Amino acid sequence: MSQAAALKETGYAGHGEALGFWRKYVFSIDHKTIAKQYLGISLFMALVGAYTAYAIRWQLAWPLTRIPGVGAISPDAYNSLVTMHGTIMVFFVAMPLLLGAFGNFCIPLMVGAADMAFPRLNMLSVWTFFTGGLVLLASLFVPGGAAAAGWTSYAPLSANPAYTTAVLGQDMWIVALALEFASFLMGGVNFLTTALNVRAPGMSLWRMPLLVWYEITASALFLLSVGPLIGGAVMLLLDRVLGTGFYLPAKGGDPLLWEHLFWFFGHPEVYVVALPGFGIMLEILPVFSRKPVFAYRALIYCALTATALSLIVWAHHMFVSGMDPRLATPFSVTTILISVPFAIMVFAMIATLWGGSMTFETPMLFALGGLASFLLGGVTGIFLGSAATDIYLHGTYFVVAHFHYTLFPVTFFAGFAGLYYWYPKMFGRMMNERLGKLHFWLTFFGFQAVFIPLFLVGVAGTPRRVFMPVGYPLFSALQPLQVFATVAAIVLIAAQAAFVANFFLSLKYGKQAQRNPWRANTLEWSTDSPPPHENFPAPPQVRRWPYEYSTPGARRDWMPQDEAAEAATVRAAS
Amino acid sequence: MEAAPAHQVEAALAIDDSIQAIPVGRIAIWWFLASEIMVFGGLIACFVLFRLAHGGWDAEAAHVHWQIGAFNTLVLLTSSYTMAMACTAAKADDAARLRICLLLTVLLGLTFLGVKAHEYSLEAAKGLTPWSGLFWAFYYTLTGLHSVHVLAGIVVNFFLWIAARRSSLWPMIQRRIEYAGLYWHFVDVVWIFLFPLVYLS
Amino acid sequence: MIESMHDSPAAVRTLDLHIWEWLLALLAAGLVVFVLPIPKIVALALVFGAALIKAVLVVRNYMHLKAEHPLLYVIALFPVLLFIVMAIALLPDIAWKR
Repeated sequence: MSQAAALKETGYAGHGEALGFWRKYVFSIDHKTIAKQYLGISLFMALVGAYTAYAIRWQLAWPLTRIPGVGAISPDAYNSLVTMHGTIMVFFVAMPLLLGAFGNFCIPLMVGAADMAFPRLNMLSVWTFFTGGLVLLASLFVPGGAAAAGWTSYAPLSANPAYTTAVLGQDMWIVALALEFASFLMGGVNFLTTALNVRAPGMSLWRMPLLVWYEITASALFLLSVGPLIGGAVMLLLDRVLGTGFYLPAKGGDPLLWEHLFWFFGHPEVYVVALPGFGIMLEILPVFSRKPVFAYRALIYCALTATALSLIVWAHHMFVSGMDPRLATPFSVTTILISVPFAIMVFAMIATLWGGSMTFETPMLFALGGLASFLLGGVTGIFLGSAATDIYLHGTYFVVAHFHYTLFPVTFFAGFAGLYYWYPKMFGRMMNERLGKLHFWLTFFGFQAVFIPLFLVGVAGTPRRVFMPVGYPLFSALQPLQVFATVAAIVLIAAQAAFVANFFLSLKYGKQAQRNPWRANTLEWSTDSPPPHENFPAPPQVRRWPYEYSTPGARRDWMPQDEAAEAATVRAAS
Repeated sequence: MEAAPAHQVEAALAIDDSIQAIPVGRIAIWWFLASEIMVFGGLIACFVLFRLAHGGWDAEAAHVHWQIGAFNTLVLLTSSYTMAMACTAAKADDAARLRICLLLTVLLGLTFLGVKAHEYSLEAAKGLTPWSGLFWAFYYTLTGLHSVHVLAGIVVNFFLWIAARRSSLWPMIQRRIEYAGLYWHFVDVVWIFLFPLVYLS
Repeated sequence: MIESMHDSPAAVRTLDLHIWEWLLALLAAGLVVFVLPIPKIVALALVFGAALIKAVLVVRNYMHLKAEHPLLYVIALFPVLLFIVMAIALLPDIAWKR
């Protein structure tokens, strides 16, 4: 239905003030409020995830001691911690932050729409997500504890209730994930429809900001890859609850099927979170180097290529699973191939910076730090994508370091970059620059200090998901590295206090934000900070692509997308 | 609650149909169906693969009631026809015809579910439960998930049928019946493949 | 198969009816093939072929994909290709292992 009809049908009162507290802040259909709800949930879950990380790292550095603030943990509890850390960070931090928060906030504003195509579906999606989060957190407190089969939940450990004490916890894990999947399916449909169909006049697809392109590509990828896992999760739940035998060899089932189904989704999932992270970086780098983004169309084609390729690389997670060895070569080939579009994206980002007039405000620092860190992480993926080296490295800390070196930059570096960048637009206040820079430097160096040692520990053979690797004499010489990583992790987690303080203090004491503090071109900067309920007083008329920076002969070094054309000096829009 | 001034609402909205004149509801439903294709496709693929692995499951498959399955296929195909007629009636502004066709669709859907439930009871009585073997696990999962989708479709169609009695809601019905129709036809298409897969193989 | 280009409700209703008739005919043909004593592979090919035709009829006519923008074709067909690719990739591991 049309937006007009949707707004009329929901009885929207026009300015928001007429809505009561519950309709305005809790059961809101405004995409900006929903984005903030996703943001709040994700940041809270990030604290829970950080807590699990703290406990894990402490146990690895000083095994069998009482962890301050946690207590003494058993090997089973360690498995639960590892499981919950991964599940929370991927599904309840990265997804809601990058897609839920930034997707919801930025897409309608950037395409010049008044709201998402389906505002009420949007509200349903965030409440479904919230329920999923509640179920997952509740599983921490049920008898038997939270799921302990890893975020990958391999069968038959996860399929046979007799194999673990976390019987109810594992069931709840499946339900929580199902709710999360449903939520992002709804959100994905909303994003795709809005970007394809609800754009302002003049906003052709080739004038859409890259963040929008990357968000909808990620949404489509999620939509296409999650289906088999939904079927697989139903089968897993039935195995546990009804005694079917889909994944249980004793009943004729095949545990390998779960691995295939999981990773068929699991691998695209990491690109579902990586693409929006890249999109955020691609919005910030041009603004803070006052230069157009390099190779705009190539970047879009790369996103589409990476999406398509990501659907046929999944078995690189399974080289040592006992799968048919003949599958190893094709999947190695596709995995090495997928590094090509990502390399082009990285090169395009560097080329965007090249020769630019860079300033290093906090958003730029985080974007640059994220780019540099992701580069290292991506390169280490080559060793894992090639079956020969992966056979040695699989299941070691090398893998852990690799995926943290890719996921952490796209989730947290890009996420923080986006938060510092769009905070003025979201909340109408500027964040404190000095605290922001402190946050960045501590986070950047803290992060490297945690995970570089883990590469070394992993190459030496230390297996992951093991309660006490130092118990093996083979790894005792590496223990100083584990301790170093833990100390760094504690510093890294503590450093986030700078962000938390900045976030809340700026809400109250931050300088009032102008419309366009960063002198950027995209449409959200043409309206008030924060935008009114309907985003724009009138539909913007889009006249150019978003990256018209430092155009020769122009009056200023930026040119908003909806600004009237200047005579004879506007470089032809793409 | 007063509505925003119409000109302000219209002015604030930005709808550009230039790339393709497809209503937002239709695009959204097709994206949703794409994800559903992956759900059922994934499960069907698993069933086919397991069936090949276990030598075809001919002995187990001999116990399915293909006549009941065939009858249910007839019911569902006919319900697709009545649903298509309902959509056509909506376009022709014929509320009475739409209500009849929609009601028939709902009744046919309920018939499908009733027959399926009866079929399940027959099988359960013979000890053919989801936990009695992998063929039956797949049978119940595939047809069960499909039946859940049929039920959801019946609920949606029923609410549209109720709403169609109020002329003030007629424009909304005209828009939404198409989307309900797309969903219902999809559920029928899934069954078109499930039927030979489960009953005639 | 009648492909009516008229938009008149009567013509569309006729088309709807004809499609339904074909669907029933294909169902009947599939059942006949099922009970005939022919080699299983042939029977399966015919039955699934009939199913495919039924599905195409429903999708193109009842779901109006015949008259729609190519984008919707892509949205509908890409996942079909995708799960078939997935199934093929899983053949060595799941179907042929025993």
